[in-house]
Amino acid sequence: MDITFEHVTHVYGQKTPFEKKALNDVSLHIPSGSFTSIIGHTGSGKSTLVQHINGLLKPSAGRISVGDFVIDANQKKQDLKPLREKVGYVFQYPEHQLFEETIIKDVCFGPMNFGVSDSEATKRAEESLQLVGLPAAYWHRSPFDLSGGQMRRVAIAGVLAVRPQVIILDEPTAGLDPRGREEILSLFSDLHKRLNLTIIMVTHNMSDAAIYSDQVIAMDGGKPLLADTPEEVFSHVELLRKVGLDVPETMEFLSKLLKKAGKQQVVTAFTLDDTADAVIDLLNEVKDHV
Amino acid sequence: MEKIIEVRDLSYRYSEEHPLVLKEINFTVNKGEWLSIVGHNGSGKSTLAKCLNGLIIPQKGTVEVNGYDTADEQTIWEIRRLVGMVFQNPDNQFVGATVQDDVAFGMENHGLPRAVMVERLSEALRLVKMEAFAQTEPHRLSGGQKQRVAIAGIVALQPLIIIMDEATSMLDPEGRREIIQTVRDLNKKHQLTVISITHDLEEAIHSDRLLVMNDGQIVREGKPRDIFKSTDLLKKVGLDLPFAIKMRNALRAKEVPLTDSALFQEELVDELWTLHSSM
Repeated sequence: MDITFEHVTHVYGQKTPFEKKALNDVSLHIPSGSFTSIIGHTGSGKSTLVQHINGLLKPSAGRISVGDFVIDANQKKQDLKPLREKVGYVFQYPEHQLFEETIIKDVCFGPMNFGVSDSEATKRAEESLQLVGLPAAYWHRSPFDLSGGQMRRVAIAGVLAVRPQVIILDEPTAGLDPRGREEILSLFSDLHKRLNLTIIMVTHNMSDAAIYSDQVIAMDGGKPLLADTPEEVFSHVELLRKVGLDVPETMEFLSKLLKKAGKQQVVTAFTLDDTADAVIDLLNEVKDHV
Repeated sequence: MEKIIEVRDLSYRYSEEHPLVLKEINFTVNKGEWLSIVGHNGSGKSTLAKCLNGLIIPQKGTVEVNGYDTADEQTIWEIRRLVGMVFQNPDNQFVGATVQDDVAFGMENHGLPRAVMVERLSEALRLVKMEAFAQTEPHRLSGGQKQRVAIAGIVALQPLIIIMDEATSMLDPEGRREIIQTVRDLNKKHQLTVISITHDLEEAIHSDRLLVMNDGQIVREGKPRDIFKSTDLLKKVGLDLPFAIKMRNALRAKEVPLTDSALFQEELVDELWTLHSSM
């Protein structure tokens, strides 16, 4: 499902002393089946932006289309259920939303809300728990006896069980240890490829944005500052720094080496392997000139 | 070096049916040092931290803070004043309606006279660079600012030790830098002892000493430079490696003859540069 924003503006607390324009005339396109990361410092409008995609927020002006579904600022109230069935939203710390007696019941809750029968919901819950890698031995236990990382996977299974085509992830790895972080990210990368899910990830981690995405959108002051491939976006080092954003640590490292070599250029590399190649190239190049 | 905390044979379990989460732990903390405790989720780090200011009393073994035993009810409030704790979630530890109310809360609890409170309040806010926000309500603050207020509340009690329990893990990169800088100043300029429980290895490599925890035990203790030489052990206990070491390993795999010495990015850059000049 293609997602398009046309001149979308969102104002919080309209006509109050606290009025704040959180999105300012945003136009952008997220292609179906892509992995898009949204970066930007706190208060830049990242979360406000993604909350429009499943109708949690309504635009103050402009229109958003998600597949055939259209939300227009001038439109009357509409039933958002069909949209929310297609667009799953994994909130920050989703494990705080677990509430059922057993893991399987918790995962069934989502699909049953969308009118799926008991047996179908159970079937989907089992599939989703398998997808997130939680062994069947756990399914009839309480979700509250699990570790933080496991609880998060159960919460994610709850979203997957609705069978969305688009998944929004709001800082999915916040508060996890390195192992848990790696697990969650490779889970979504895998789901993205296997189920052709469109993934939209809000993140503060520039390396994750660079490595996993097809498209990176850098937000600043309620507007997209850059929206392009990771290579293109992260080549604008100065611009990103100016709005309080970093570049991936691989590039930080390369820039230190380039500076030592007295070079002005920017080299984009995101994986350790590519960075090592860039280092070797650079050293050879400098040597040839001596 | 002067010892400020001494932990002896400490074991702890949450209840009879549960396994031990801390097993026979022994270590000391020196006055004025920055000690980091690393380990994956569930390794016992946070439980250990709660033992250090008497939030948890061990079933076995002792914890002494500045000579006071945490099991002694007579001195527990003195221990809690000496050992301040900053938790992970900035929203869960804000109790005041404004920044100044929040900082004053701890002092009120300890029954300080008003004149002293007023004086310490402005001093504490100045130290964390939040004096311009004294009247501000919490929802107008960023996560990093809220954590700085939490630190001010601790500083106002004139503690000897500050424990950060993943205090930066919910913050954006800018907030994280703010907190580390604030605490580093307190450590260097005011000789506050810092114990930091963290997953952030780029932070941990800057500490004076490091404890590595796994399965309720301390598996390594030493200077970051020595500990990060045993990369196999760290991987085995589920920890990541600092960037400079991962980068070094990637370069070595491509036959760049690097030594084991670099721990910081700058050191690796220097080593590469020297290497290239001698090629």
